[in-house]
Amino acid sequence: MVILALLGPWIVLALVAPFRRPVGLVTSAQGALPLVSVGAALTLTWTVLKTGPVSGGWPDWFRIDPLSAFMACCVSIVGAGTMVSEALTRSARTRASATAVPATDDERAARRVATYGSLFVLAMLAAVTVGNVALMWTAIEATTIMSAILIPLRRTKASVEASWKYILIGSVGIALAFAGTVLAYVGFAGRMGRQEHALDWTLLMSVAPGLQPDLLHLAFVFLVVGYGTKAGWAPMHTWLPDAHSESPAPLSAMMSGVLLAVAQYAILRWKAVVDLASGGAFTDQVLVVFAMLSIGIGALSLVLQKNYKRLLAYSSVEHSGLVCLGLTFGPAGVFASLLHILNHALAKSASFLLAGRILRRYGSPDIERVRGLLRAMPGTGPLFAAGLLALMGFPPFGIFISEFLLFRAGFSSGHVRLTLVALLLVGIGFVALAGHLVRMLYGAVPEDVPPGETERRGLAVMVVCLLGLVALGLVLPDAVSGLISRAAEANVL
Amino acid sequence: MDHVFSHVAVLGSSGVLLCGIILLWRRSLPSYITAFRWQSITLAGLTAGVAYFGEDRNLYWVAAMILALKGLVMPRLLERMVRRFMADSEVRPYVNTASSLVISGVLVLLAYAAARPIQALATSPTRGGVPLALGLIFVSLFVIVSRRKAITQVIGFLMLENGIALLAVLGTYGVPLIVELGVFLDALMGFLVMQIFVYDIHDTFSTIDVDVLNRLKH
Amino acid sequence: MFRGPGVAIEIAQSLLALMLAPALVGLVRWIKARLQSRQGAPVWMPYAQLRRLFRKQVVVSPHASWVFHVAPFVVFGATLVVSLLVPIAVTPLPFNDVADLFTLVYLLMLATVFLALGGLDPGSAFGGMGSSREMTIAALSEPAVALAILSLAMVSGSTNLGEIAARTVADPAAALSPGYALAFVSLFIVMLAETGRLPVDNPSTHLELTMIHEAMVLEYSGPYLALLEWASWLKFFVFCVLASNLFVPWGLSTSLEPGALAVALATTLIKLVVLAAAVAVLETRVAKLRLFRVPELLAVSFVLGLLAAASSFALR
Repeated sequence: MVILALLGPWIVLALVAPFRRPVGLVTSAQGALPLVSVGAALTLTWTVLKTGPVSGGWPDWFRIDPLSAFMACCVSIVGAGTMVSEALTRSARTRASATAVPATDDERAARRVATYGSLFVLAMLAAVTVGNVALMWTAIEATTIMSAILIPLRRTKASVEASWKYILIGSVGIALAFAGTVLAYVGFAGRMGRQEHALDWTLLMSVAPGLQPDLLHLAFVFLVVGYGTKAGWAPMHTWLPDAHSESPAPLSAMMSGVLLAVAQYAILRWKAVVDLASGGAFTDQVLVVFAMLSIGIGALSLVLQKNYKRLLAYSSVEHSGLVCLGLTFGPAGVFASLLHILNHALAKSASFLLAGRILRRYGSPDIERVRGLLRAMPGTGPLFAAGLLALMGFPPFGIFISEFLLFRAGFSSGHVRLTLVALLLVGIGFVALAGHLVRMLYGAVPEDVPPGETERRGLAVMVVCLLGLVALGLVLPDAVSGLISRAAEANVL
Repeated sequence: MDHVFSHVAVLGSSGVLLCGIILLWRRSLPSYITAFRWQSITLAGLTAGVAYFGEDRNLYWVAAMILALKGLVMPRLLERMVRRFMADSEVRPYVNTASSLVISGVLVLLAYAAARPIQALATSPTRGGVPLALGLIFVSLFVIVSRRKAITQVIGFLMLENGIALLAVLGTYGVPLIVELGVFLDALMGFLVMQIFVYDIHDTFSTIDVDVLNRLKH
Repeated sequence: MFRGPGVAIEIAQSLLALMLAPALVGLVRWIKARLQSRQGAPVWMPYAQLRRLFRKQVVVSPHASWVFHVAPFVVFGATLVVSLLVPIAVTPLPFNDVADLFTLVYLLMLATVFLALGGLDPGSAFGGMGSSREMTIAALSEPAVALAILSLAMVSGSTNLGEIAARTVADPAAALSPGYALAFVSLFIVMLAETGRLPVDNPSTHLELTMIHEAMVLEYSGPYLALLEWASWLKFFVFCVLASNLFVPWGLSTSLEPGALAVALATTLIKLVVLAAAVAVLETRVAKLRLFRVPELLAVSFVLGLLAAASSFALR
């Protein structure tokens, strides 16, 4: 029932969103339905913490343990935030226009974003709540398709290129992940015989200690390369900056905020299985390589960036690498990683939504062109600054705490040199981001950019996100830390 | 009986891989599609064979779906695309044909090395074909990176899926049917979206060489 | 091993091959003609051709040296020796001790080298061109042949022709194994290249831009030409026998009883006819490859050989 409330609103929204009128009703649906889903996710979390894992669906397709509940919260919150912000902007635009139904390109684009965006969120929610690895794979593959459709919303050479790279690299990656799943299933079937529920987490975890390690290692390499592609880990990250910079702002917000996290979730699940079979050494070795490459490439690419959306995208690569690094640092590291996923989701999706507003006002994605942001957009400017500061890891934002915990876990688990290198790279990223930010905030506003904020209502969501981030940074609520530590416990050796 | 089964399995998977290698040798888009079609048909036949010997009724459905979707529908759609881009049907790979073939041979050897844990573990009569399936996966990846047409990349991707399907059929007589259905749905959707994008590329750049996609860097 | 009568049968086999080789080529030509809706020359046409050539006198270029005169005999002799080694109806026979795949391949290579030398010797433009092309192809096909042999040897544990055939007779299912199948395709491609069939060389034209074999023998006439042609037909025959009796050795006799012998002979002939039909169909279906694509075809053969070796190694 709760699961229906979690997923249902997105299905309804996807069905409603294509309609042009009544415009008021459609927009309010877009604003209200996602909140139902957030409510359901929170209720579900509460139930899971109280009474243990929840199963449901027909016949028990869904299984929600603390980790799933946590991910469902992240996904639904970011999805809802994006949708509500879209709805607010749309209603502001409708009010401004003379006719009842604005038939502009903007409106058509907004309808498509609402339709495919809600399917996209639906796929991500399904991915984190189904109890079967192969169905999870199906859902993650569906996220690729749903998000790829949205990239060439405005058909330019750049967006066509980005969409092609995204769908090709994404599909190939995810196909390799399926090969990994099949290999693991071969291992399972070799031991237990073929069973309909063989690919359920619970069953897989319970027989994992007896599975053959070599085969699972092979499977794990496929899985990491596959899901790692979706998680934006270097060197498979090449699609990410293109797709994130060329797609419409709401989609970028969701992709960067939670899609990467969903892929990381898949890897965390599999890592738990493989670790049970062979001890943690092998998976840690594999993940460390991808983590360091991602942090390094992400941070160094920040330095030379000329485009602020790509800047945010490379910052995602860096943070995705940090999450990956945390997974190898034992229980404390996994805790830090999960917290980092939540913080990053809030900070990055708010930043991308704000970047979308900046792009619309300045009409250019070049950092060079954006000057005097504080004066030109008195509302967006400070919020964007706050978002970037959060991404840099400034206190009092939550990312400061999660990065601190992550590095502490690194030192205390004995990876001193590795952690120092990561710290150095994060420092480089910090300096680069700060430099770009300062250049954008100050200076003379270009003449063709009218000063003053418009469509102010749309900002409400970003304010909420950033406030939440501050709250996570100042006081980590017991409910959150309890949930995350329960989620982490179940999935480390 | 098992003896015949294992020979059928291995022979069938050799056939599937062979189609992939023959594709590397060809140089026009229509012949790429033909190679892919025959590969799918061989795969469907092999799946039916495994269904017969392994006594698994569900696999007949899988075989039928492979035949219908990958043996008939997808090649037909691909051919329609190629007809649209008639002037532009020579493949001109980045890596010349002879080197491609030798590289693919090396990749298959690599697959043999990678598949050792499965060979050691599995006792099923079909295990002999598993390295060939992994080999096909590697060869498909090579097709994707070494050919410059958007359509060849799509075909490479479809071959990759064939390779994975082959792996599933040989490794465990197929994954559970519900998963199989999900996979087919995703494959079809993905293919349709890719097809839209190929048309997009053609309309925007007036070519389907992916060389032109070089705007976004750093 | 069957000593006394064995030798006799061995020689009889070889003579039979020599006698039947022109007919096999004639059959391929005839089937091809029918497939192309032509009347076609009768199957025994090559015999008439040989008779005509043997009656004519030899015309020799004044620039030609002794190599030109020796080449036809070496080519013919080497091929005839090869025909003594292959299991046509019975195996193993006395000469089997030396009937190694390596012996066989390099005897044929010897013939190829002398043919190329003979083409070069008179100094004519076409001969040189043909020889250079022939050597290119030979150089490329050699690794493929070696690999195909290796993979066969890995399956059967020997490079000895008789033992390979005997092994497959004992376990017919082995012929279905991927190592065998891939090696067969590999060897078939090499066979096409080595014997100058389509799609590598077109045996029925004298087009100066494309011909290979015909270019080399262009300066030869009379009995010399007859010997060379006969040798090339015999080579084709030998390859066909190899392909059919190594990979599909059913019916091959392992004793000297007349009944088994007759059956063996009959099955071999049937297999040859089938193979000839296959070659004819193939030659009708495909167009000749441009010369620079020939290395790619041989690369296919090489890769298949590699795969055959790998799979037979892995499945042992």
